[in-house]
Amino acid sequence: MNQPVLGLFKYVDSMVEAAVSMKDTGYTVTVFSPIPLGVELDPVVMRPNYIRYFALFGAFIGLIFGVVLALGTAALYVLPRGGLPIWPVTPTLLLAYESIILCGVIWTLIGFFIIARKPNFGKQIYDPKLSLDSFGLLVEDIREDKVEEVERLLEGFGADEVNRVEKS
Amino acid sequence: MDNISYNEINDDVVRTMTKTTWKYWALLIFCASMAGVLWFGAWAYQIYAGQGVTGLNTPTFWGIYLANFVFWIGISHSGTLLSAILFITATPWRRSIYRSAEAITFFSVLTAAVFIFVHMGRPWNFYWTMPYFTTRELWVNFTSPIMFDVFAISTYMTSSVIFLYFGSIPDLAAVRDKVTGWRKPVYTYLSLGWRGTDAEWHWLSKSYTFFAVFIIPLAVSVHSIVSWDFALSTVPGLNKTIFAPYFVVGAIFSGTAAIVTLMACYRKAMKVEKYITLMHFDKLCMLLLVMSLLWSYINVVEVFSGWYANTSAENETLMYRMFMKPHAYMYWLMILTNSILPLLFIFKSLRRSIFICIIVSIGINVGMWIERYLIVATSLPRKFLPNMWHDYIPSLIEISMTIGSIFFFVMLFLIFVKLWPSISIYEVKEDIGIPMRKGFKRH
Amino acid sequence: MSGILTRLKDKLASYRVPGYRTKFDYKWTMVVDLDRCNGCEACVVACYAENNLPVVGKRDCDISRRFSWIRIERYVEGTYPDVKVKFIPIMCQHCDAAPCEIGCPVYATYHNQDGLNVQVYNRCVGTFTCATYCTYDVRRFNWFTYKWDAPLEQQLNPDVTVREMGVMEKCTFCIQRIRVAKDTAKDEGRKVQEGDMKTACEQSCPTDAITFGDLNDPHSKVSKLAKSPRRYRLLEELDTDPSVIYLKRVMEDRKGSGHGTSHG
Repeated sequence: MNQPVLGLFKYVDSMVEAAVSMKDTGYTVTVFSPIPLGVELDPVVMRPNYIRYFALFGAFIGLIFGVVLALGTAALYVLPRGGLPIWPVTPTLLLAYESIILCGVIWTLIGFFIIARKPNFGKQIYDPKLSLDSFGLLVEDIREDKVEEVERLLEGFGADEVNRVEKS
Repeated sequence: MDNISYNEINDDVVRTMTKTTWKYWALLIFCASMAGVLWFGAWAYQIYAGQGVTGLNTPTFWGIYLANFVFWIGISHSGTLLSAILFITATPWRRSIYRSAEAITFFSVLTAAVFIFVHMGRPWNFYWTMPYFTTRELWVNFTSPIMFDVFAISTYMTSSVIFLYFGSIPDLAAVRDKVTGWRKPVYTYLSLGWRGTDAEWHWLSKSYTFFAVFIIPLAVSVHSIVSWDFALSTVPGLNKTIFAPYFVVGAIFSGTAAIVTLMACYRKAMKVEKYITLMHFDKLCMLLLVMSLLWSYINVVEVFSGWYANTSAENETLMYRMFMKPHAYMYWLMILTNSILPLLFIFKSLRRSIFICIIVSIGINVGMWIERYLIVATSLPRKFLPNMWHDYIPSLIEISMTIGSIFFFVMLFLIFVKLWPSISIYEVKEDIGIPMRKGFKRH
Repeated sequence: MSGILTRLKDKLASYRVPGYRTKFDYKWTMVVDLDRCNGCEACVVACYAENNLPVVGKRDCDISRRFSWIRIERYVEGTYPDVKVKFIPIMCQHCDAAPCEIGCPVYATYHNQDGLNVQVYNRCVGTFTCATYCTYDVRRFNWFTYKWDAPLEQQLNPDVTVREMGVMEKCTFCIQRIRVAKDTAKDEGRKVQEGDMKTACEQSCPTDAITFGDLNDPHSKVSKLAKSPRRYRLLEELDTDPSVIYLKRVMEDRKGSGHGTSHG
């Protein structure tokens, strides 16, 4: 049984210092923030960008979809019009362009849902203050006898509030 | 924005959504009923009686409806496109206005899309223009500029809805934590269980960048394609190579003007002057000035190259548009509002005067509507065979639907500000800066 | 899968891509000799009778919603007494590179294997694109569902559809007559020959100004007329490649003589 501890900080640099220290000790840390933290979080965690593979895949699917739709449907029912060839080039390119973007956007969204595991309506550790002005540091994988030590450490780093939390 | 605390932003945005006065309801009911009567009532009558209730005639098959369609698509080009460009270039003044601007995009595309159906002879068969499987294997004609439109606009609508929703997920979570009652479950589901962990923010910002990158070329292509509805015909006055950039510039121009008008009203009505400041109007008006100059340049090029070509059909269209009543009045009014009045924005004090901003931006939108109207209504009546020349006078039904569409748009926006965090909470917080022990750190 | 491929192959084999226009079964062509045309408008009346065109009434005529698929355009040059009056019958030109066919999103108008520009009423959704793109203003729109007062509905041509509101239409080169001629020819195991059918306007023309036939047949009357030095096609500079050939009216240029034009 491990007891997660959530520390709420007012300042980002205090939280980052706490996070780095906790991480070095070997705990699992999760950072919560009401605003996106970019470079500030680099000492804590660096993440690769997997979204781009989804975007590329979507764009590729879109290209195939657009070209197959424009050329394939024209071939299914050969109706000459306006002296144009049955397989006209420019409209096919145009259609492919639009469907690249459409499928790219949709696959980027799907990629986000998959990677960020959304939507998630199950029980999760959360505090409503995290969407206001508090930066949260969630420390997990603590041995039972170490919980109080972690709490003291977090307070030492400048946490306003340290709670033992459960999924709710 | 230095004196605003993080908590205050949440409170203010939630207040715009929950505190509703009777004035809001009065305005909403008024707009809804006007849209219902003037637009949908008139449209129902037109569907029942036939397209004959319009003023369209044999050479002029496209009239005010197409002008409205292009106009509303143009309005839509401010929001998403501007938001995406400003996001990519990391422009700080984007943050407090972009959410409403994107909503403007969505609602105006919606309005424009309805106008496609309004202008159709048999709107009940609209789904025939979609590519779907039929047992007859009969598909759609991909060489048709109208078909490009179907694809471009549906892509645009999907993408801008995703862009709008995606950027709001953290704010919906923030709203979820504040509200009570029936709103609680609604925002719980809308926010998809957002918690604000570092992983979530990371993937959100990466995906958001991709959306922005996808949307910029998309928005440019959408209005180019709309212009090709006209430019790919052979009609003199429509068959112009400059139409695609002309329309894109005009779209950003009119869209930005619409943002200025709406923001000026919105900040006053919602009492959010501290978020949408004079600085924002200053920047937007600078953009208007640039777009106005660009628009004037392209307009001159269009007229000049038509005149220089000196073909009889081209000359006739130009004369008809610029010097013959009643279009001459409209044409020169358009030049006044679109080319001359925006020059006021050269002066910084005028850029920071809300009164001047509202006057000029409404003027620009009137002018841009006239531009679209003139493109359709002065080219088609003067096609190649003079025997068929016939002027176009819009009927009351058409005018009523035009006015009704404005009420429809305002109605949608009114509903939006009560249902959606219309100022981006987390990005205004970014604007304040990241709280450090030594004070706020800004990007 | 192989079934689909075979079907695709068969379909594509029936048209050469691009340049399918050279493989038309027939090349229906109309030649209008303007030297013979006296502007009597009998063709217009015949067209109304043959193709069930509604008479729209005064108000709609005023705002240019006449239904005539064929019309006589009149142009007057100069001032009295030194005037030249010219007229020209204009119907759908059945362009081989038709702007309207490009515009239609649903294939309601396309080119058939006889080189005709056909309009499918049932498929039309009324986007007006074809009519806007048409350079000859020959397309007509059903602004309302037009009714014929009794007993006039009894005289409607049973071979031709009565169109409903919201549908675009235009001259079909009397496709119902072409169909009958082709069916008969098929039953007799031959191709349609010269004289098998006439269009309504051709039939009613008192001066034989209108000739209709197959340009692919080198011995047909239209093929011979089409070689005339007076030949021209309307707005040819727009490169729509029309199927209607006009033979220019030769007018004597008597500037200042005050006696108008000569005939013949």
